[in-house]
Amino acid sequence: MADEGVSPPSQRRDSIKSSVHNTAAQRRRQHAIAVGKERREALIRTKRLCRVAVVDDSEVLLEGDMLVDEEKAVLDSQTSQTVEDLKSALSYHGKGATQKKIEILRALRRLLSKSEVPPVEAALQAGAIPVLVQCLSFGSADEQLLEAAWCLTNIAAGEPEETRSLLPALPLLIAHLGEKSSVSVAEQCAWALGNVAGEGEELRNVLLSQGALLPLARLMLSNKASTTRTAAWALSNLIKGPDPKAATSLIRIDGVLDAIIRHLKKSDDELATEVAWVVVYLSALSETAVSLLVKSDVIHVIQLLAGRLAASESLQLLIPVLRSLGNLVAGDSYITDAVLIVGHDITDQVLSGLVKCLKSEHRVLKKEAAWVLSNIAAGSFEHKELIFSSEATPLLMHLLLSAPFDIRKEVAYVLGNLCVAPAKGAGQPSIILRHLVTLVNHGCLPGFINLVRSADIESAKLGLQFLELVLRGMPNGEGPKLVEREDGIDAMERFQFHENEEMRNMANGLVDKYFGEDYGVDE
Amino acid sequence: MEAVGGEEELGLGFPFWVAACRRFKPGDPFFAAGDIERELIAKHVALDLTEDERYQLQKMEGGGINTVLCPIVGCGAQLNCLEDFEDHYHARHTASCSVCSRVYPTSRLLSIHVSEAHDSFFQAKVARGFPMYECLVEGCGVKLKCYKSRQQHLVDKHKFPRSFEFYRKAHPSKHQRQKYQRRQAAYRWEGTKETHMDVDRNTLKQPRQKYRPKQAGPESEETNMEVEEKIDNLASAVSKLSTSDSTPSSISFGHRHARGFAFVPRSIRQNQKQQSDAKR
Repeated sequence: MADEGVSPPSQRRDSIKSSVHNTAAQRRRQHAIAVGKERREALIRTKRLCRVAVVDDSEVLLEGDMLVDEEKAVLDSQTSQTVEDLKSALSYHGKGATQKKIEILRALRRLLSKSEVPPVEAALQAGAIPVLVQCLSFGSADEQLLEAAWCLTNIAAGEPEETRSLLPALPLLIAHLGEKSSVSVAEQCAWALGNVAGEGEELRNVLLSQGALLPLARLMLSNKASTTRTAAWALSNLIKGPDPKAATSLIRIDGVLDAIIRHLKKSDDELATEVAWVVVYLSALSETAVSLLVKSDVIHVIQLLAGRLAASESLQLLIPVLRSLGNLVAGDSYITDAVLIVGHDITDQVLSGLVKCLKSEHRVLKKEAAWVLSNIAAGSFEHKELIFSSEATPLLMHLLLSAPFDIRKEVAYVLGNLCVAPAKGAGQPSIILRHLVTLVNHGCLPGFINLVRSADIESAKLGLQFLELVLRGMPNGEGPKLVEREDGIDAMERFQFHENEEMRNMANGLVDKYFGEDYGVDE
Repeated sequence: MEAVGGEEELGLGFPFWVAACRRFKPGDPFFAAGDIERELIAKHVALDLTEDERYQLQKMEGGGINTVLCPIVGCGAQLNCLEDFEDHYHARHTASCSVCSRVYPTSRLLSIHVSEAHDSFFQAKVARGFPMYECLVEGCGVKLKCYKSRQQHLVDKHKFPRSFEFYRKAHPSKHQRQKYQRRQAAYRWEGTKETHMDVDRNTLKQPRQKYRPKQAGPESEETNMEVEEKIDNLASAVSKLSTSDSTPSSISFGHRHARGFAFVPRSIRQNQKQQSDAKR
């Protein structure tokens, strides 16, 4: 660009041009990087921008393209202006006042829903919140309420302070969830509240104190699919804790469990997904929820979850379904002991669903399925035999040797659990020799030794614990030889300068005991 | 899912594998990947992400949770993910000895190894009573007169386990073990030998010793080389000392590239050669 120099004047001009060009290009690049980073953060936030109207029969669909390259400054000034206009409109009480307000609100809403990164800051600085709160006053026209709630939704979808700015609006938003509200208005308010709840524990507690749980739960019982879906999503953000109180309260509300079962059974993937996420949080957090489920209908729930696991190909549904199963299995031993009885259909169904996930190409499914299996493998001897003799074992072996680290770790838990009998009191748990020997003969040892080498302490510990089983349990004293052959001693020696004393002791202990003075003497 | 019993066997409270159920709270980093996937799908962008963006997102996963703290004593480096850790480890923590190819995790430890194992000047100073054995913990600065007291210092001051050994006793291959055992039998058959140092006998009892300071030969042999030999004996014998009284630790250090390779200090190897020449 810069090296076109022909004659001095044009060269100079060119270099000036190119430097300007470079600056502009640089600025755009930096902007792109900043947008890229913001975009990435926005993508993984549990808040969601509303870009399309929640009203079914609206003609106000996505108009035009996203304003990706729009100069931020222009957007900001338009936004500020619109807020000012709104303020003026609010002070006017004459003819056509409502229509005027709605038009301006719609313009503001468009500004806040088109671009990659909406001009929220500009809106807030111009004083958008107080005016929007005014627009939410009781008795306002539905469309006004809708547009105002929509603006607030997108303001709340951004940075923490921006979400927090909605505090003055919360009581009104909650109120408009009520059963007398138009369904679309209620849904839009639920969305806004979902974003607020997604911000953090503090805001969640505010919402719960202000009584947001009950009306949202009622919304979940709605007949309109999109309303139910939004409400379920908002609820999942609201009850996610860490305080289990909200989850416990939710499961106790009349009709909630029935609605959950109904939706898990019949609904389309999108709706079932959000409901499944509610189950995820209920099962992970609330002892009460789990025990309530156990007392009432847990077999039914597990059957439904297993059914969805087997039937669906949709990753967005499979994730919460799998996790709900996992949470239930982990949450109460009753599930493994008394529900997933070996030989019953339900157990086979769950197992085949888990195997399906192990075969999946999706990392999350493989990892969490292995986790669930590891918990079932921590059950009775029959459970271990069932898993061991199933399709799962060769899949797990393959994953142990080739999958990414986080999956290998979970797989290690399964395989190790398969080799160790259920603990009976204190003392060394006994080894299930048949399982251990088979797994070792099929080449699982390098996988575990690899774990010993990892930087993650928990994994290294797992590796060492499995090596101990091999060293202790393999018949004919084969253990040490096998370990040595796979460079196991090497791996253990890495702990010499490790700062963790437990790891040093574990590794040293094994090497001392099995590769000590007498090693190899009686050949 | 931790240790239940096992004290009898390994005597160190080894936490045996116990099959236990593992439960995670909703906010646990374990679930982070799934949570992110949820958000990406919900925002309908999963398909629009470039490879690079996906990779960046995976790195951002759980933010600080994926941060790996390098566990090597004294390092403290923070890495973003396991791949970065592996790179870091190989770049900063592996240094190999040009003489015997052993690998050490820091250049400081490597240089300590080189001095103590390959430097006859070092050995000479040791023989004359200078404290030459540096404490292995960087920043401590203490120097001790012999290997054993350095070991003791590490245990006393720095809480190293008693079984710790800086010097590697390389694990011999089966072939070497058999060779040694044959030699051992032959040696015993020749009758007991008085050695100059008790230490020699102790080291001879260790099955993994591959070098004996003296070849079989008449007791009364006195040569010029004996003085050097004594020093070398001292060096090599002391280097094989173990602090644990019962079972000697066989921990050695670092990734071993020279597997089954007899570790013999150069100075001693040279001496051995001279001795065997002299015998002819």
